[in-house]
Amino acid sequence: MSTQEQLAPSRSEGAHGGTGVVHGDPVQTHAPAHTDSIHLPRPTAYPIIAALGFTLLVAGILTHYVISILGVCLLAYGCVGWFREVLPHEMHENITVRVQEISIASARKSVGRLPGGAESGGQRAHVGVGAFSPLVGLKGGVAGGIAMIFPALAYGLIAQHSIWYPVNLLGGAGVSGMTGFGNPTMQDLRAFHMATLGFATIIHVISCTLIGLLYGSILPLMPKHPIILGGIIAPLAWTGILFAALPTINPEMSAHISWPDFLLAQFVFGITAGWVVSRSSYYRTAKSLPFAMRLGFEGGGVGREDGEDHR
Amino acid sequence: MADASLPIGSLDLTPEALAEGTFREYLHGWVTTVDHKRLGILYVLYALFFLVVGGAEAMIIRVQLMYPDNHFVSPEVYNRMFTMHGTTMVFLMGMPLLFGFANYLVPLMIGARDMAFPRLNALSFWLTAFGGILLYYSFIGGFGLYGQGSAPDVGWFEYAPLTTRTYSQGHAVDFWALSLFVTGWGTLGAAINIITTTISMRCKGMTMMRIPLFCWLLLCTSALTLVAITPLTAAQVMLELDRYLGAHFFDTQAGGSALIWAHFFWIFGHPEVYILVLPAFGVANEIIPVFSRKPAFGYTAMVAASVGIVFISLGVWAHHMFTVGMTSAANAFFTLSTMIIAVPTGIKVFNWIATMWGGKLRFATPMLFAATFVVHFLLSGLTGIMLSASPWDWQLHNSYFVIAHFHYVLVGAIVFSMLAGIYYWFPKVTGRLMDEKLGKWHFWLFLIGFHLTFDFLHVPGILGMPRWVYTYEASRGWASWNMIASVGGFIQFLASGIFVWNLLYSGLHGAEAGPDPWDAWTLEWATSSPPPEYNFAVEPVVASRRPLWDLKHPSDTDTQYE
Amino acid sequence: MAIPVVAQHLEEPGHLPNKGKVGMICLIIGESAIFSIFVLAYLFYIGKSQWGPQPKEVLEVPILNTVCLLSSSLTIWLSERAIEHNLLMTFTAWLGVTIALGSIFLVGTGWEWYKLIYHDGLALQTNLFGTTFYSLVGLHASHVIIGLIMLITLWLFAMTGHVSGKNSERIQTLALYWHFVDAVWVVVFAVVYVIGR
Repeated sequence: MSTQEQLAPSRSEGAHGGTGVVHGDPVQTHAPAHTDSIHLPRPTAYPIIAALGFTLLVAGILTHYVISILGVCLLAYGCVGWFREVLPHEMHENITVRVQEISIASARKSVGRLPGGAESGGQRAHVGVGAFSPLVGLKGGVAGGIAMIFPALAYGLIAQHSIWYPVNLLGGAGVSGMTGFGNPTMQDLRAFHMATLGFATIIHVISCTLIGLLYGSILPLMPKHPIILGGIIAPLAWTGILFAALPTINPEMSAHISWPDFLLAQFVFGITAGWVVSRSSYYRTAKSLPFAMRLGFEGGGVGREDGEDHR
Repeated sequence: MADASLPIGSLDLTPEALAEGTFREYLHGWVTTVDHKRLGILYVLYALFFLVVGGAEAMIIRVQLMYPDNHFVSPEVYNRMFTMHGTTMVFLMGMPLLFGFANYLVPLMIGARDMAFPRLNALSFWLTAFGGILLYYSFIGGFGLYGQGSAPDVGWFEYAPLTTRTYSQGHAVDFWALSLFVTGWGTLGAAINIITTTISMRCKGMTMMRIPLFCWLLLCTSALTLVAITPLTAAQVMLELDRYLGAHFFDTQAGGSALIWAHFFWIFGHPEVYILVLPAFGVANEIIPVFSRKPAFGYTAMVAASVGIVFISLGVWAHHMFTVGMTSAANAFFTLSTMIIAVPTGIKVFNWIATMWGGKLRFATPMLFAATFVVHFLLSGLTGIMLSASPWDWQLHNSYFVIAHFHYVLVGAIVFSMLAGIYYWFPKVTGRLMDEKLGKWHFWLFLIGFHLTFDFLHVPGILGMPRWVYTYEASRGWASWNMIASVGGFIQFLASGIFVWNLLYSGLHGAEAGPDPWDAWTLEWATSSPPPEYNFAVEPVVASRRPLWDLKHPSDTDTQYE
Repeated sequence: MAIPVVAQHLEEPGHLPNKGKVGMICLIIGESAIFSIFVLAYLFYIGKSQWGPQPKEVLEVPILNTVCLLSSSLTIWLSERAIEHNLLMTFTAWLGVTIALGSIFLVGTGWEWYKLIYHDGLALQTNLFGTTFYSLVGLHASHVIIGLIMLITLWLFAMTGHVSGKNSERIQTLALYWHFVDAVWVVVFAVVYVIGR
């Protein structure tokens, strides 16, 4: 049924049959005929022998050293046998191929199209690609992160007479207790601290980029109103959760936060990030389409793949 | 529509002679095989066997906790049961199952004929298998000093100093450390193999941004395995050096630290959760689009989120250790990093919903399990965020709330998703469809049992019931909750029985599946069911993420959008 | 009939990375994690030994060892280059030098351990310094031994004429492992003999 053969070095170099093909020689994709046998690695008992040897070697520690000696012998036998299996040439067997036609076809014939397509059928409602590139979300996050710094610092400057006030509050989440921020005074909060600046920057950068990514992935869900979802609803929800949770998690910090201004900064972030995300790459594939199509692009029920289910 | 010369679309028949031969030859064929599909099947069968074993251990635990002041088993046996249940489910069931899926599917999905290192693949499986046998041998072979040996009994994370010679006489701890040391090398080999296969064995046109999301997720899992399982191996070596050669790593008498074991264990332990859950994501990523008749939403975002999870999950381990008394800076760091991991997982949940949104949903059994997976994963993620806040964790650490939370992840999310995968790919492996009626019975019973058990276990946790407790007094008020949970456990066990029956029955008498029963789009459905030994008679060539879509709709291929 | 899959922009198949090298890099990443755990343990336990010899009293900086091991990275690179150009004699010679340098390192480590055990009374069980020192350096030495066994096997094959330029990718994979062993020594050296002393 199968014959063992040693491959010529040029074939065995890549590995076994499959790679040989990837390297482009015998089975040409565009060639009309293909070889009628395929080289696959020959079944071998050496791996199981080596595995048993290794296990017995370890089991000997638990039981008796004689078991370990047996294990070492089996392991050595398995390794040498394995070595001879691969070098100098990998052992292969030929599997004969019998070809039978197979039809790959779908019972579902009609495909959901976007409404209003000019040419016959219009564009497919759901394409597999191009809906979203994570870089866009990243860009939105960075833009929003930069934008929200200004209202936050302005709040610190106007209401608390120090731009370091919001920085210390954010950074204090990371270093509370370590630098005496467990119970800070107002002077502390207004002064400049290297540690809190560092922590605040790290927290700010990480959360802005990640939330930008999140925006990038959820905004296409609401293609008609990205600004409302990303700029208003999401910051509102997020601030609400924080407003409810923070008094429990860190009461001191919560007492120092002015929630209306916090919400304002969140809105600035959300609107900027949402705007950046919504005006770029998500529409990349749809750019060639009429405007009306873009609105319903991923909307519910617009174009699914229709057709009867036969199962 | 296809002829023999086409890149994909040709079916091959293995020579009939292969099917003949005596039973001994048949067995010999399985033992010496280096074929990725056979090894994948072996992995999955091995995992399912230990699913039953670990499940039986869980049943013993549930019977013991059914009533207050119960003495169904002795405290010693009870300790062995919960330790072995945890160890079995994580190391002998969870990881082999995911590597079984990876072994079978990754080469098929990327159009390769085998794994990159077929013999290493066999070695990895047999190391895992023999390691598991060694671990269970401890039940009969683990006699130690004063008869205090037998199976491991100090909890699946084996905290020091309970593992020192003084407190754990006999060989129970050694059995745990050394048998998992053996399986650890098997796991490492499997991970190396999967990564190399995905990177170096792709067929023509299969760029990294075209491989199915399942392969991306398995690539991420394997990368995480490389850096997560090895610290455990290192820690186990240290533990054995302590126990056998008198070293002092975890010996508090000589200045060693018991805490550092906890750190080392959880440096492995938390990424391990993601090692187990990422393949579950991958399975959902394959099933949800097919049963929604839409392409997966946000491919690149999914890839980015998966890679993000890999990196972030390496920096969250100490949220298992909030109660050991770290500095508040460390507490804050691990709280924040744990919460941040909600962002990439949130992206994933949104993308699954977006994939289903507006699609033509069809709730066959695989889709039922996959959709439920999304819901369970979301719920378990929410309790996870609760526990990530260190003050909340101080209150509930090591209580049944934590048990309920992580079983929601491990059973509700991972097991549901893996079951979806088994229902989905069973026709590919055996050529026969699984019975839908039995499948629906399995699904609904398992779902009801799951919710009875793990929804209600949150409550005794909040009421203060600690994990690993042998029994409790009636006055605690935990009894009715535990009774409900136990009943739910029995329902789950019954449902699993139906599942096993379905596997056996459908494997022999199921309806013929044909090569592509679900009308799917990835390469594994382009070959016959079961696939021939060489997978594809001709190396496939792909030009988009959904090669079978292109074949089925030649006038409207995906290629034009890439 | 047209070919159904229109392959317009196929990547060149030859661009797929060599699987031996990818596998070796994965192994190296995994091994690095093992080493980093032992290094962490060493760093954590510096100065925590309650009795017995301390690093300052007994450790001597192994300059010769370090020079030998690090230069063996250079010699194996030279032999890699030689086999790429099919220069068998040069390859065998540089490989031999590599093996010799690696062996000197091993002997040096053995001598250092002998001195520590029999003159300074430092064993694995003595104190935390002994525990962490022997396990970290021993872990590295065991990797050197495995590397040497493989290099010697290769050298024997080369001496009997079984190696040719066609094997160069496999040899590069093996050399990658040796470079890793050398790189780890830089970390071990820094941790044990510079920071820890």
